[in-house]
Amino acid sequence: MKNPVILFPRLTKSSSHYKRYDIEVPKSLHEKTPKKPNLEGFPYPLPQKKSDYTCFCEGENGVIWYGSNGGVTRYAENADRKDDIIMHFSARRDLLDNNVIALESDGNNGVWVLTEKGATHIKMTKMSMEEKAYLLTEETHKYVDRRGMTSQKKLAEPGNLKSAVSYGHSDNDGSFTVGFAIGEIFRYATLKKEKGEYAKETLEARASATRACEANLLLMYIAGRGNGFVARSYLTTAEPIPDDGLFYKKNGETAVCVSTTDSQKKKLVGKEIKADAPIPERLRKLYTSEGFSDTDIVYKGDTSSDEITHHYIHLLVAHEFLGREDPELDAIIKEAAVNTMNHIIEGGYAIIEIDGKPTTWAKWNLDYFNSYMGWADACLNGAELLMYLKVTMRVTGETGKWEEEYNKLLFKDGYKDLVTKHFDRFHQVALAGGLDDREEIMYGDHMLAVLSFWGLVTLEQDPELKEIYREGFRSWRYSLAPEYNAGYDFIYFLSDPENAKPDEERIRTWFYRFGATRIASGVSLNMRVDYPQKLFMGGYKETSALLPNDERFIAKYDRNPLEFKNEDSGGAGVVEGCYPYTFAYWIGRYFGFIAEGK
Amino acid sequence: MDKNIRLIGNAHLDPIWLWRWQEGCGEVLQTFRSALDRLQEYDDFVFTCSSAAYYKWVEDIDPQMFEEIKKMVKKGRWVPVNGWWVQPDCNMPSGESFARQALYSQLYYYEKFGKICKTGYNVDSFGHSAFLPQFLKKSGMTGYVMHRPGTHENKEIPENLFWWDSADGSRIMTYRIPDGYGSNGKEALDRKMADMEERANETGHGMMLFYGVGNHGGGPTKGDIEYLKLNLKREGFNDLEFSSPDDFFEELMTQPLDLPSWNDEMQHHASGCYSATSLVKELNRKAENLLSAAEKWDTVSSIVVDSKAETCEFKKAWQEVCFNQFHDILCGCSIREAYEDVKESEGYALTVASKAYNNAVLRIARKIDTWIDGVDEAVLENTTNQMALEKGFPRPVVVFNPHSYNIEIPVRVHHASKGVKDSDGNDVVFQNVRASRSNDSHLDTLFMASVKPLGYATYWLEKAVDEKAEKEITVEQNFFMENEHIMVSFDTTTGYIKNLVNKENGVEFAGDNFVAIPTVINDLETDTWAHNVFKFHDIKGLMQLVSIKRIEEGPLRSVIRTVHSFNESYLTQDFILAKGQKTLRVDCKALWQEKFSMLKMAFPVGGSEEISTYEVPGGFIKRPCNGEEEPALNWADLTVTKNGKRTGISIMSDSKYSYDCPDTELRLTVLRNVIFADHYSDRPEANFDFTDEGMNRFSYGIYLHNGEAESSEVVKEAHIFNNNVAVVPESYHKGPLDPTDSFMYTDCDNVLITAVKRSEDGSGDLIIRLYETKGEERTRGMLMSKLFDNGFWFDISKHEVKTFRVRKDLTVLETNFLEGIV
Repeated sequence: MKNPVILFPRLTKSSSHYKRYDIEVPKSLHEKTPKKPNLEGFPYPLPQKKSDYTCFCEGENGVIWYGSNGGVTRYAENADRKDDIIMHFSARRDLLDNNVIALESDGNNGVWVLTEKGATHIKMTKMSMEEKAYLLTEETHKYVDRRGMTSQKKLAEPGNLKSAVSYGHSDNDGSFTVGFAIGEIFRYATLKKEKGEYAKETLEARASATRACEANLLLMYIAGRGNGFVARSYLTTAEPIPDDGLFYKKNGETAVCVSTTDSQKKKLVGKEIKADAPIPERLRKLYTSEGFSDTDIVYKGDTSSDEITHHYIHLLVAHEFLGREDPELDAIIKEAAVNTMNHIIEGGYAIIEIDGKPTTWAKWNLDYFNSYMGWADACLNGAELLMYLKVTMRVTGETGKWEEEYNKLLFKDGYKDLVTKHFDRFHQVALAGGLDDREEIMYGDHMLAVLSFWGLVTLEQDPELKEIYREGFRSWRYSLAPEYNAGYDFIYFLSDPENAKPDEERIRTWFYRFGATRIASGVSLNMRVDYPQKLFMGGYKETSALLPNDERFIAKYDRNPLEFKNEDSGGAGVVEGCYPYTFAYWIGRYFGFIAEGK
Repeated sequence: MDKNIRLIGNAHLDPIWLWRWQEGCGEVLQTFRSALDRLQEYDDFVFTCSSAAYYKWVEDIDPQMFEEIKKMVKKGRWVPVNGWWVQPDCNMPSGESFARQALYSQLYYYEKFGKICKTGYNVDSFGHSAFLPQFLKKSGMTGYVMHRPGTHENKEIPENLFWWDSADGSRIMTYRIPDGYGSNGKEALDRKMADMEERANETGHGMMLFYGVGNHGGGPTKGDIEYLKLNLKREGFNDLEFSSPDDFFEELMTQPLDLPSWNDEMQHHASGCYSATSLVKELNRKAENLLSAAEKWDTVSSIVVDSKAETCEFKKAWQEVCFNQFHDILCGCSIREAYEDVKESEGYALTVASKAYNNAVLRIARKIDTWIDGVDEAVLENTTNQMALEKGFPRPVVVFNPHSYNIEIPVRVHHASKGVKDSDGNDVVFQNVRASRSNDSHLDTLFMASVKPLGYATYWLEKAVDEKAEKEITVEQNFFMENEHIMVSFDTTTGYIKNLVNKENGVEFAGDNFVAIPTVINDLETDTWAHNVFKFHDIKGLMQLVSIKRIEEGPLRSVIRTVHSFNESYLTQDFILAKGQKTLRVDCKALWQEKFSMLKMAFPVGGSEEISTYEVPGGFIKRPCNGEEEPALNWADLTVTKNGKRTGISIMSDSKYSYDCPDTELRLTVLRNVIFADHYSDRPEANFDFTDEGMNRFSYGIYLHNGEAESSEVVKEAHIFNNNVAVVPESYHKGPLDPTDSFMYTDCDNVLITAVKRSEDGSGDLIIRLYETKGEERTRGMLMSKLFDNGFWFDISKHEVKTFRVRKDLTVLETNFLEGIV
């Protein structure tokens, strides 16, 4: 883009819930006599049927708040952007329930809402997009961070941050923490550029980025197998072990496979594996500083290509922005890249589990690609493996066998052709399953494609190959573009500038309408009449238009933002990390796609 | 990988071609009987047949046989394909027509057979427009079988099996039949088996071998089936198996194939068919437009005044239109007598539309408060309006706009007036113009109506009391016209346009050359289809000026009339430039007698960096300016660089579908006068009928714009040009409705609403269909409507067609052409 999209401070919503007669709740709210609004000739689509609106109140600056049986609608007739004229608030993301009994302005742009289950204060706080980034990051640090890992954390009481417990791992800790780490690294890089290396904010950003980086690197070492095996995640003995995968308890020289449904199925319970390969001390500190020792560690195996892909792009970004100033860290980065790359090559382009077989999903070889399951995956997985090799060459500064492997894959094994065929193969697989394209999409794959092609286009110097990688990236746009995810789009614009067509209003809406908390919760779409449902062949439902971020269920990048979900969406029992916002925001700032206006 | 050859036993049936529909109907009955007999005789034989219209004939005429077919369909032995009413021409029906082809057919199949067709099958259609993949997918189909153009006509299109993409992002697996859709006899089958074997081995995937007697029906013969059975398994060859296109696509989709893809239209086969037999083209355009407009207002009426929606009547009318879009009918290559039947059939559709339209707008108009204090009881009824007028009361006229955007256009009332006011009492520009009648005052009133989207507006006309007003109209004879947008002047020697200026950018489109030149092309060496002829450039001569006259000049519009001749043929053109209008309208009357000829209106505008753009079903496409004859719907455009500015000229019409663009010249083909159904015969001496001989009336328009075609307003202009605005003279009454209103609009200037109707399932749910016109993606488009007292947001891709269903509970469903019923 020639000029950055200037983002100005905007009113951003947040909700606090109270019992009906809590002392904080204005008494006058209970004394209100609800009056049905006259909505005849209302000039915009209303989220609820007009007959379902039960009450209204006037707010500041001409804003009118309408209460209904399906939530609260805010009408800002004088809003300077079309996307901000109508806002809708629904349970559980914004309200305790949707049956609004009374409304009262809080006199400060927000509103008090009385519903059947209690009262809610919807605050509208003016904040810049940078302030929002800091607010979200603070929430992540305070409530989500688990020894540097920032996927999510359980809440004992849904919706209540203060009830966050000390555990709550994600199957993809390694992936989501990379998202956070990259955002933080670009925060550091941005602030260093703008405020100088030794500014307080810059130093804080560097510390945060380094901690996230170390947490990711630790996952590449923690198994201690000495062969570059990467763990999905790890727990300490102070945390419960969930029954959803393969876990290994470290006992010193070896680790033993814990009994879970999966390990029983694979007959791995009690099997032992080497566990004493050294872990860099600065990484160990992430758990030793909390009083845990190596024998308190339970790590998760059966690692997938998702984790590996995230780790390799993380190695690249960390090397470029942190490693060059931190030789110790850079050495760890290089060692991790080499170890895991060797593991993959020696494993026949796969991550090998203790039974000597490839893990369920970490396979990048022709055997897999030529299988029924792997045929459609080949295009993404092929690009991933090529990216790992390019990253390894970059961070080590060595070519040698990495380049030989790279060229073999490209020209002998046909990966050069594979990387552009994603849409063709994916579409055919969907049809074969009797599904529409959009029903077959694995939304988690989007981030993998974005990261893989970003790495390849950035690192490849050969113009012909670079163009092939751009073509490969474009083969994903059919499903990436409708998301209007700034995190994906900025990277695409960087990678394929000639085909980049930024929609500035969508970019603004994406940031302006991003909520200021990541407490997971759903929304009530089933009662909305302003967004059509779209039904697909297999019965899957989407909204016909993309809802603003703050009216959708809370999700990471691995969910379909168009998914037509109801109140039960969003997994209410956790608070998620902030990378969905900060990854996009700081990349956007660093590369000049966005800038703060005053 | 499976490389088996699937044997597709089929019968291509032309319901009209070298015969009339009655014979076609008989051919269907005979073919279906024969197919059922073969299915009884051979346990593994499978029969494939398209076109819901044929099944409906059989159901109506021979219900017992229809029951037999239903049983065979249930067993999977009889496979209906192509969820469209017939195998239509795939260039000239509008996007809305394709939606109706699917709607009425797939619902019929679903009702009768419990399932819809999965395979599109247009094996004889003469070309396939660029957005068909979208239409097919939104018709509920996942595979497509086509044949023309053949490889000798277009080598670039992939052969065999490939992905076909349209610009909205739709994709459909497509099979291009290599060697004809029908064949019989050992020799033909041997040739095909060898060809398919070779292709299967080359491509690494299975192929389809189509067999069966076709065109006039027949289907697979006993001899063919028995011969194929002998060859099912041959040592060293791929197996043959009786199958259907549905099974072929289903099986191929599960195989890991990296197929080639194609993201363009598939042309050309019969380029003469875009212009042959003007009658059928004119009727198709009129019926499409009138039905759409009538249906919208019928729906409004059903909600606003609670009238019964005529959904069933519209269905029957659309089925007639869909039937006449059969490729040999709409392409104008059937026998002359068949077009007598077309007139009846399209006449039925037009009558249904006209009646429903009139009923709907009158129901609404009679609820508008048109009461004027002082108009007493004696003048309440229509019969006594005259009394009110005599007493000096103005007459109310209500104008109804079926379009989804504001219009400001001249409309006509068949009475003279001395003044026109809008409902707020403001004076409105008007002009008394010569009427088509000789009776009464000889004058009609034209006035400038401004009407909101899908809305109406009430105007008040004061009667012209001076019966001699016509005589007072004097017109100065100059040949120059100008309004806010266009300046045009004529050469008095040739009658051609010598200056044509876009006033917005000052670009002169004539100057070096005359434009709007009626050019007669020699068309002797072609047949009706113009097989193997893709350019029509052999100029016989230019029409010569007989007279030029300015016949109108006034505050609302000016009209210059030219008359040209060529041998015994005459062309009268009224060039009409009205206030504020961006399109110069030309109403034409051609008395045509020139045999083996084509008449083109030529616009050699010059310039450089030429790009030609054409409206096609569902959107527009760009084509090379290579002079090949091209199909288009309402308009085609030539954009060039002139004087350093990008600017363009669009030519639109009310009934034509054929253009060419040699370099920087755009030509609209208005007439093609060749022998009916002449397939390179030896033309024995006979008193042949010619396709366009006699009187032809048509209109074309000239629109000038800045920038590229897609960024202009050509789509709206062309739709207004084909307008079906209703002008209703009203009476005096009280009523609950306001003098102006609007019932639906969008806030997107690149979206047009093409259908507002009730759902076919009788639920009363509202169906709204719209499409994107400028090739630009749009997010958070807004549609608002009084018909359901709310609105909704939508995203739309470039060139996308979207159908919404508004339920009774006001929730909205985005669905496909089948309205969410199936």
